[in-house]
Amino acid sequence: MNFLSVRAFIPPLTRRTLPLRTTRRYAVQAAGAPTIEIFSQQHKWMQKERAAKDVEASRGVDYLRDEVASRLCERLLDINRHFPHVLDLGANACNLARQLTLPSVDSPDAGPRSNRVGKITAADSSETLLFRDADLPFNREVDINREVLTTSELLPYEANTFDAVLSSLSMHWINDLPSVLAQANNVLKPDSPFIGVMMGGDSLFELRTSLQLAELERRGGVATHTSPLADVRDIGGLLQRAGFNLLTVDVDDIVVDYPDSFALMKDLQAMGESNAVMSREKGAIQRDVLLAAEGIYRELHGNEDGTLPATFRLIYMIGWKPSPKQAKPLERGTGMFSIKDFLEKDKKGDGESK
Amino acid sequence: MPGRTRPIDKFATAVGRCSKEGSSYGKCIMADYNNVTKDKCITEFLKLKDCYLVRLTIITSPSQKKN
Repeated sequence: MNFLSVRAFIPPLTRRTLPLRTTRRYAVQAAGAPTIEIFSQQHKWMQKERAAKDVEASRGVDYLRDEVASRLCERLLDINRHFPHVLDLGANACNLARQLTLPSVDSPDAGPRSNRVGKITAADSSETLLFRDADLPFNREVDINREVLTTSELLPYEANTFDAVLSSLSMHWINDLPSVLAQANNVLKPDSPFIGVMMGGDSLFELRTSLQLAELERRGGVATHTSPLADVRDIGGLLQRAGFNLLTVDVDDIVVDYPDSFALMKDLQAMGESNAVMSREKGAIQRDVLLAAEGIYRELHGNEDGTLPATFRLIYMIGWKPSPKQAKPLERGTGMFSIKDFLEKDKKGDGESK
Repeated sequence: MPGRTRPIDKFATAVGRCSKEGSSYGKCIMADYNNVTKDKCITEFLKLKDCYLVRLTIITSPSQKKN
């Protein structure tokens, strides 16, 4: 009997845990080396669903996603054109769409930022999280279409569909980043931007180091409690490999102060950002380790006022789908004047005018 | 159950009341954090744990016992 025919009748939770190899897949650009599964997608999905079920708690920890989404919107508006159809890849609770309905921080009188955006397609694999804010008033101010993805690594869209692809704080859970970026490139229209932001580099290094030291002293070894993250240096290569042109990568640090390390861990859990690394230790973290980590965190990184800082390093990336009409960088050595002279002249002029 | 305190909250409150022991444990690790071995700071840790266990019993015991 064909397995595919039964699949639709299996309850969703069970269906998620069945291997996907038996289903048909879209042909995507092969990324080269076989992918290693680092993160458990099923576990991540379950964490997000569970976190979003507690609506109050889930909304309470939107501070990070809202801030990052707002900064991402600013980057989108820096591009001086109208975007009729935008894809929000890994939308979480549609934080991006919500931020778009607010006016820009720099020009509060210019009206909502969504003036420049037509339709938004918000895609995420976690249904509960995606529809969490579906009945809030901001949904009426913007044309938003929520779509639940079967997995967060496959984009079921036709080539050349979107005028921009955005992705805010979800790509750090993707196993096969080259393939997802290549798919994003594929669904973009020529000469359209991909603008993404992901957690990276030294994010949460305070928590990471405290847990490592605590485990080393208590148990004599180290287990994985925080994800491996992409580094700034890797992003350029990743985007280039996915076929993007005119790359821009920049880094932004957000430091949040927490009363204690448990508050940080509780917030991460409520965001659905708990550990989902395949090689993680199953079961809860030992109390002894938590107790030790709190003491070390406070001593090693604590602020003077008794709070504990947690650093989130955000990597913003912009890449353009190639098109023959696109502006190309000039050839080396064709510059007519030195940028150094130009900038110094500007500085001197400023000094004189004051 | 409405108003139920999560175990992690009780844990956090109890640990929060042992800041002195926590800080002396942290200092012990900090003294040479490039060379941490198992049970390097066992004395400090046991003090911290004793303090935490005492605080936890105070928090979890019924209110009449506390008074």
